[in-house]
Amino acid sequence: MKLRRNRKGPITMPIVSMGDIAFLMIIFFMVCSNFVKESQIEYKSPTSLNLASVESSSPSVAMDKEGKIYLEGKPVASADALKADLEKRLKEKDPKDVKGRSVLFKCDLRLARDDFQPVMEAIVGAGGIVVAVGDLLKPSDN
Amino acid sequence: MAFSITKRKRAVDIPLDSFSDIAFLLIIFFILTTSIQKMTGFQTELPAGEKSEVKQTEKTPTVNIGAGRLLLNEKSVSLEQLAAELQALQLGTKADDQRVVLLDSAPDVEYQLYFEVMAVITASGGVIGILTEDK
Repeated sequence: MKLRRNRKGPITMPIVSMGDIAFLMIIFFMVCSNFVKESQIEYKSPTSLNLASVESSSPSVAMDKEGKIYLEGKPVASADALKADLEKRLKEKDPKDVKGRSVLFKCDLRLARDDFQPVMEAIVGAGGIVVAVGDLLKPSDN
Repeated sequence: MAFSITKRKRAVDIPLDSFSDIAFLLIIFFILTTSIQKMTGFQTELPAGEKSEVKQTEKTPTVNIGAGRLLLNEKSVSLEQLAAELQALQLGTKADDQRVVLLDSAPDVEYQLYFEVMAVITASGGVIGILTEDK
């Protein structure tokens, strides 16, 4: 009995366009994502039902669980120092430019009023508009 | 005497073997270092500038937060009741000076409750006026 030899060679995957696809994915990630500037700050976001999407391109002020203040991820000594720093950043902004004067405020939910209120007042005093950031609570979570 | 110079052209090949490896390493870097989640929050309308003496009329709604309870015009309310009562005032349709909701809080009030109250006031179209004690 004659057996037919299998003439098919080894199966190869077409990988020519793999690099192109990979670079398209890189471009997608670069365009659609924001870098996490405050990844090292330990804070737990407050939650509420009454939240909407906010612009993430504004300067951000964060307060961690110990009450330390950060501007764009860098520690700031006090609320007064924060006010001075923000005044420099916002002085060229048009007072009517709401978007340009917006400052994201992220604060640990356990902090007491005496810790966070001076920071909010510093933002407003420097000419900023406080945009309080938190996590949206869905009615089903309640 | 004519010389014929024949140039030996060599095909220049760029090594592309590691191209996709580099690209995938870059993708992994971007996936790990970026966030694509939408930020949520609310824009507060805190009056800017120096501290001023706000004339508190009988009609100005005042919210007190302290010791785990919430008061609207000295009447104990839940967060849902506060939202309903402020919605009923239709603050969004009024002039700026009539949209003020005074917010008073105890020094030990946690940000979670303060945040929820501010979100409710803002959602109902109110402008938050923070009451501070003179030292």
